[in-house]
Amino acid sequence: MRRGAAFASLLDEAFSGLWRARRVTVVSILQISFSLFLVGLFLLAAENLGGVVDTLREETAVTLFLRSGADEASKATVERTALESKLVAAVRRVSAEEARGRFARSFGSLTGAAGTLSGNPFPASIELDLLPGAISSAALRPFLANLAASPAVEEVQFDVDWIRRLRGVVRLVAAAGLATGVFLALGAAFTIANVVRLTILLHRDEIDILRLVGAPEVLIRGPFLLGGVLQGLFGGIVALGLLALAFRGLLFFVSSTENVLLGVFVVRFLSPAICGVLVLGGVLAGLLGGTVASRRGHV
Amino acid sequence: MIEFYRVSKEYHGRRVLKNLSFKVAQGEFVFLTGPSGAGKTTVLKLLYRAEGPGEGQILVNGRNVGAMTPGRVPELRRTMGIVFQDYKLLPSRTVFENVSFVLKFLGVPLAERRRRAYQVLRLVELHHRVNALPEELSGGEQQRVALARALVNEPELLVADEPTGNLDHRLAQEVMRLFSQINVRGTTVLVATHDVNLIRETGRRCLTLDRGGVLEGLVEAALPPQAAWRRDGGVRLPPREGEEH
Ligand SMILES: Nc1ncnc2c1ncn2[C@@H]1O[C@H](COP(=O)(O)OP(=O)(O)OP(=O)(O)O)[C@@H](O)[C@H]1O
Ligand SMILES: [Mg+2]
Repeated sequence: MRRGAAFASLLDEAFSGLWRARRVTVVSILQISFSLFLVGLFLLAAENLGGVVDTLREETAVTLFLRSGADEASKATVERTALESKLVAAVRRVSAEEARGRFARSFGSLTGAAGTLSGNPFPASIELDLLPGAISSAALRPFLANLAASPAVEEVQFDVDWIRRLRGVVRLVAAAGLATGVFLALGAAFTIANVVRLTILLHRDEIDILRLVGAPEVLIRGPFLLGGVLQGLFGGIVALGLLALAFRGLLFFVSSTENVLLGVFVVRFLSPAICGVLVLGGVLAGLLGGTVASRRGHV
Repeated sequence: MIEFYRVSKEYHGRRVLKNLSFKVAQGEFVFLTGPSGAGKTTVLKLLYRAEGPGEGQILVNGRNVGAMTPGRVPELRRTMGIVFQDYKLLPSRTVFENVSFVLKFLGVPLAERRRRAYQVLRLVELHHRVNALPEELSGGEQQRVALARALVNEPELLVADEPTGNLDHRLAQEVMRLFSQINVRGTTVLVATHDVNLIRETGRRCLTLDRGGVLEGLVEAALPPQAAWRRDGGVRLPPREGEEH
């Protein structure tokens, strides 16, 4: 109970300290929220790009387009080779008719055009669903080359390079976000340190008096440290609010535009865990700034 | 209670105290006097460790104040009541808060803080100004707030630097009576003042720091033998410069 009361009075002192230096306090909160907002944008981009990659990976299949005159025996050989490779989960035969049906379902408006072509322009194919982990397996490339060499196979379609590159981009975005974040958070910590130092200067006389009458160090420095932490906390919360607003704005923009593809890229907000990490980042920056400014000998 | 043993202190190479030795026993009430600039405030600052001694040893209630680590100093000060020459009130706090906040450090609950602060403010006749800010008070009133703050934690040792400098004679006498009462209850009292009349009227032991800026020892030797002190409130003059006892 007494501990709670002591903390309440520390908090009270911290708030009144921030209030007395409210203009700089607002500036430092805005700065930290801007930093965290930028980090959040990076993370948001990484999260959604990552989502796209995941979706693509789920749908990752190798398509083997078959030569139109290929005999049944060599098609069966291809299927057997695939199943025995330990890279493939399932094998599906898609006839030319089915291929045309799929096309019609996906692109209704173009069916007319396809219908006017003489004969069926869609080749029959064999689709392979890869096992998880197959994409990164070193055996995948020789395996695909082997299949491509089969007399029944006209062409092997597999976009693994593209996916790999995309995943690299996602990683880069996330890393750039984190690096920028650490950098900006340090800058914010520096600002917070300055604000705390300023409030300390404003209270210089009071601090001297408190010392002279024997106030414990926690009561003297605690409020300033706590003031820094509070700034970081508020900065983090404001940043989250801004991010949520920006995200809603983007969603609105995407849903009102004709461009369907954009919809694939903007779907998810940050997970609660990442939101927590952002706010925690603010708190840590505040703690760092507050500690630096209020360390012994500076108060 | 207080022991100075061959204490010297210099500020930026200028010697203020030299080989100062004296003792104040537990439960004593002692004046410290001497001309302006003699080093009275310096002696008190050494006591509550606002300054470190250059040389020598200082013991307060058995604690070696000179060798104390900074972490221990707040604890020392909390056992003392200190009246500063320039009051040192918190400008943004009311009279009441100025007096009661020291009790917070001692973990006294709010209701008890209220009660005790009000009590001491009554003693210094300021209970009607509890909600005033220091800047709204006269010099003498501020001084009494400082007094109240020093008394509120019932200290083992009360150290007062010119506590009556801004008070009229009646109030000054009142304050001395207050100090005597506190002293009777067991608090050791050390008062720095150059108000010779006050010392005379109060009739307590008096330590004199030498004139001339640089202190030449004290003064203990210059005091009349203990037997000659008059404890009945009678008059005893502090020894003057060059005076033989
Ligand atoms: N912080 C300081 N730095 C340098 N010199 C100081 C400092 N404090 C005091 N002095 C010098 O030390 C000497 C003693 O000062 P002190 O304040 O102890 O005198 P005092 O006896 O209390 O005088 P007063 O009766 O005027 O209060 C003075 O000459 C003063 O100028
Ligand atoms: Mg003085």
